[in-house]
Amino acid sequence: MAKHTVVVVCPGRGTYNAPELGTLARHHAGRPEAQAELARFDAMRAQSGAETLSAVDGEAKFIPALHLRGDVAAPLIYAASYLDFLSLDQERFEVVAVTGNSMGWYTALACAGAVSGDHGFAIANAMGVNSQKHAPGGQAVLVLADENWRVDLGLARAVDAACAREGVLPSIRLGGMLVVAGPEAALDALETALKESGPPLPRALLRLAGHGPFHTPLMQPSANAARAGLPPAWFAAPQVPLIDGRGAIWRRFETDPRDLWDYTFGHQITAVYDFTAAMTAALREFSPDYVVLLGPGETLGGAIGQVMIGARWLDISSKAGFSFRQETNPFLLAMGRPSQRSIVIS
Amino acid sequence: MDAAQQVHEQFLAALEGGSLRRRSNIGLAKAGLAPARAAAMLRSQMLSRQLDRLSRKLQARGEGFYTIGSSGHEGNAALAEALRVDDMAFLHYRDAAFQIHRAGRVPGETPAWDMLLSFTASADDPISGGRHKVLGSKRLMIPPQTSTIASHLPKAVGTAFSIGIARRMGFEDTVLARDGVVLCSFGDASANHSTALGAINTAAWAAFQGTPMPIVFLCEDNGIGISTRTPVGWIEANFSGRAGLHYIACDGCDMADAWRGASEAVDYARRLRKPVFLHMKTVRLYGHAGNDVQLVYLSKDQIAADNARDPLLASAALLIEEGVMTAAEVRAEYDGIEAALLRQVELAIARPKLADAAAVMASIVPPKREGVARPLANAQARAALFADEAAAMDKPQHMARLLSWALADVLLQYPNAIVCGEDVGAKGGVYNCTARLHQRFGSARVINTLLDEQAILGLAIGAAHNGLLPIPEIQFLAYVHNAEDQIRGEAATLPFFSNGQFTNPMVLRIAGLPYQKGFGGHFHNDNSLAVFRDIPGIVLAVPCCGADAVLMLREAVRLAHEEQRVVIFVEPIALYMTRDLHSEGDLGWTSVYEAPGAAEIRLGEVGVRGADNNSGTDLAIVTYGNGVYLSLQAQKLLAEQGVAARVIDLRWIAPLAEEALLAAAGPCARVLIVDECRITGSQSEALMALFAEAAPGKRAARIAAEDSFIPLGRTATYTLPSRDMIVAKALEMAGG
Repeated sequence: MAKHTVVVVCPGRGTYNAPELGTLARHHAGRPEAQAELARFDAMRAQSGAETLSAVDGEAKFIPALHLRGDVAAPLIYAASYLDFLSLDQERFEVVAVTGNSMGWYTALACAGAVSGDHGFAIANAMGVNSQKHAPGGQAVLVLADENWRVDLGLARAVDAACAREGVLPSIRLGGMLVVAGPEAALDALETALKESGPPLPRALLRLAGHGPFHTPLMQPSANAARAGLPPAWFAAPQVPLIDGRGAIWRRFETDPRDLWDYTFGHQITAVYDFTAAMTAALREFSPDYVVLLGPGETLGGAIGQVMIGARWLDISSKAGFSFRQETNPFLLAMGRPSQRSIVIS
Repeated sequence: MDAAQQVHEQFLAALEGGSLRRRSNIGLAKAGLAPARAAAMLRSQMLSRQLDRLSRKLQARGEGFYTIGSSGHEGNAALAEALRVDDMAFLHYRDAAFQIHRAGRVPGETPAWDMLLSFTASADDPISGGRHKVLGSKRLMIPPQTSTIASHLPKAVGTAFSIGIARRMGFEDTVLARDGVVLCSFGDASANHSTALGAINTAAWAAFQGTPMPIVFLCEDNGIGISTRTPVGWIEANFSGRAGLHYIACDGCDMADAWRGASEAVDYARRLRKPVFLHMKTVRLYGHAGNDVQLVYLSKDQIAADNARDPLLASAALLIEEGVMTAAEVRAEYDGIEAALLRQVELAIARPKLADAAAVMASIVPPKREGVARPLANAQARAALFADEAAAMDKPQHMARLLSWALADVLLQYPNAIVCGEDVGAKGGVYNCTARLHQRFGSARVINTLLDEQAILGLAIGAAHNGLLPIPEIQFLAYVHNAEDQIRGEAATLPFFSNGQFTNPMVLRIAGLPYQKGFGGHFHNDNSLAVFRDIPGIVLAVPCCGADAVLMLREAVRLAHEEQRVVIFVEPIALYMTRDLHSEGDLGWTSVYEAPGAAEIRLGEVGVRGADNNSGTDLAIVTYGNGVYLSLQAQKLLAEQGVAARVIDLRWIAPLAEEALLAAAGPCARVLIVDECRITGSQSEALMALFAEAAPGKRAARIAAEDSFIPLGRTATYTLPSRDMIVAKALEMAGG
């Protein structure tokens, strides 16, 4: 029987929260391959004196100061996603492309075979630390989508203009949300400006505590550190098409690994990450039977649904339409959701 | 077996059997082509091929509507590799591989999906919105093209020319980069078209005298045009060694050689800013279009020889021999592309189509641009501009002089405006309407062109593509006819085929219409506007006097600049220098120049001129151009005989302001239409129909010109409406 085609999506920071505590243990106990990977990741962290992921994942309760810390969260999320990817039943599902959001790009590199699983982990681990090196600044979330998950293009343009006026930069385009970043003073000014003169948003601007000004030029120190410490030699051409944070597709025979390294530790860190473009390209150019969202959690599912609505994919044009499809014949299979995970694991 | 299937199986068998052969000894290293880039080009070529195969299957299913393919021409991907993605490309319809490959260089592009939407005429098609299968993309700098009759060459030349013009003008807000190169591709059969030859000649003429012309003419020579063979060696013999044109040949069936030729051509055009004729030998696989059976006019041996030149065979051989990919890997990629397309196409078919006539027509008129209105020039600048004519400006002047001042004001107010045409420079135009513009604004903005109307219109269209505001001039209405397709088929259709994304706003001034006193004969007195009347979306203006001409020209420029319209502005030659209306010395047809900023005549405003303060209600004379002049003379005579007539000047022939006209004629029970154009196809036809349909209670009649050409001498006006004819008809109507 022909395999089902899937596009794999790797989530980024902010996806390992209290409900995900213990996810490594829950999902991968009894899976020798995953256990072996996890043991290696733990060993790598132990070697550098860091808490092991098994230990962190095995904490009795979720500790924001620990689990959300960049140097913990990034490798933790990487491991959860990558081990999920290894669990995917590749006898029944053909991965036709891989993409990711923000930090999920490092996971995507590994899933696509552009870096080894260990190097991917080393990158995620290093970037968890590196990403704390940046000019002063932070991130905030703006909700653009209405209750139907539709984005009014006029509103989006007005928000872009308001950001530009206050010196705030787009950081991540995430379906119906826009993550913005910039110096704290600029974010303050944007927050005030939006409150006082609009445009009115469905929800107030939400500052992300502890986040740096990711995906902006303020991250140049982080990019410099990455380029100094993470060598091009780790990179190879991906084995399956890899869609980056601009919507560009890296294909096996067409990829110069040096260019991929350069993008990963250049543009990817210091310019906007357009997950909307990545996901749109994934749907249109690969038209998969399913989209598989790796764990941990499934919070990126909303953004994927919003991208689908924006593109009217499968004729879905509202949140209700998306929900109906998900309930009756799910197109998005989130491995962080037990009922959908069971569909795709081997 | 189906011809497309035959070529497909030949490729698979060659991959399987190891019989692939390179076409030359040029390797990747020698060609300077990185292995990854060669692989990317092969993929673009294979995607183009698979799309061709699929388009035929779609047509068979009734879901696809276009089967003119790119198979055999995939070598043009080399141009997409050699050019920058911001170099504008006017493409031949066999250039899918070019567009695909350029898309591959721009993040976020989805060329396969987009092409399928185009095949299936979906409203989501990102270029035409489901109106036509065209190659094109706003983001990829590819204006939509069907290129069926080489009609895109003149505008490609104009675009290339505009790059240098903008540099000389110091105008920065252009679409194209200062060091941009324009690509224009076409087939060997189209190379014989007069349009192509005119455009190539124009480029060479300009380059010969050192004018920058950074353009690559890509002639994709597959040796046949539908069923007519191109003589062997014809293209090379015809285009190599031409003055001003650099000739390069390459083999489009050999990726490495195609890349060599493409990179050499692009480098030459960019570095030297001179035109290049890149002669790329290609092959046309499986006929002209889906319904074309080559066996009717080609022998089996000829077809087999063509098939053996399939560029995919040589491209694959090159990559395999260079160790970039194995045959199995090429096959897997080829199959993978097909598999993805088969998934995509079912979704593409399900995408919405244009719903109704309104949706189809939504992009005929281009979208208005916000926030681009130009401020008036300041008084100081105007004073300096007109310093040497200040005294004359206080006195009544004829239309030609007033127009020349209006044009000067336009060039002052709009820094992107240019005037171009035959003799518009130092001579000041054949009727002096561009007098002193050259002196005031320089040769970069007031451009003397060669004697070729296609070239003038091509220049205007191309310059508009680059963000300039062209005001071309055609010396005589009869001369526009050899170039009419540049308006009809190109300028007017651009917003339609691009869903309003590409526009070419301009004001095309044409001296025309009859009544020159015995001078010129037909070719200088042509009296038919029919060529413009039926073109959707364009604005056709005919001022009758200097005062109106000034205000209408300003409105025309505003329409072009702010609303992106193509405006045809026909100036009645016979009234250019006319000073008097009723009697010698009355200066009734002159006026004092109106400075910009106060009065205006907006699109759709008709002019009403009546005895007794516009209150003539016995009769409405509906007319335009010379007809207004004659009707006003008649009006006076009629008044003397007790008939109060109002004269309604249409001013804007298209779109016809029906409501304004009906309102203006409202109080009158009788309507006399006076039309100086030949009756067949004249505006009077539409006007008669309008009054019959919308105001059936009125008695409408018309006087129009005979269906004749205009003779010389005293007979010149015999076939035309006259003042006395108007009076006689009006009296007859008033008495009836």
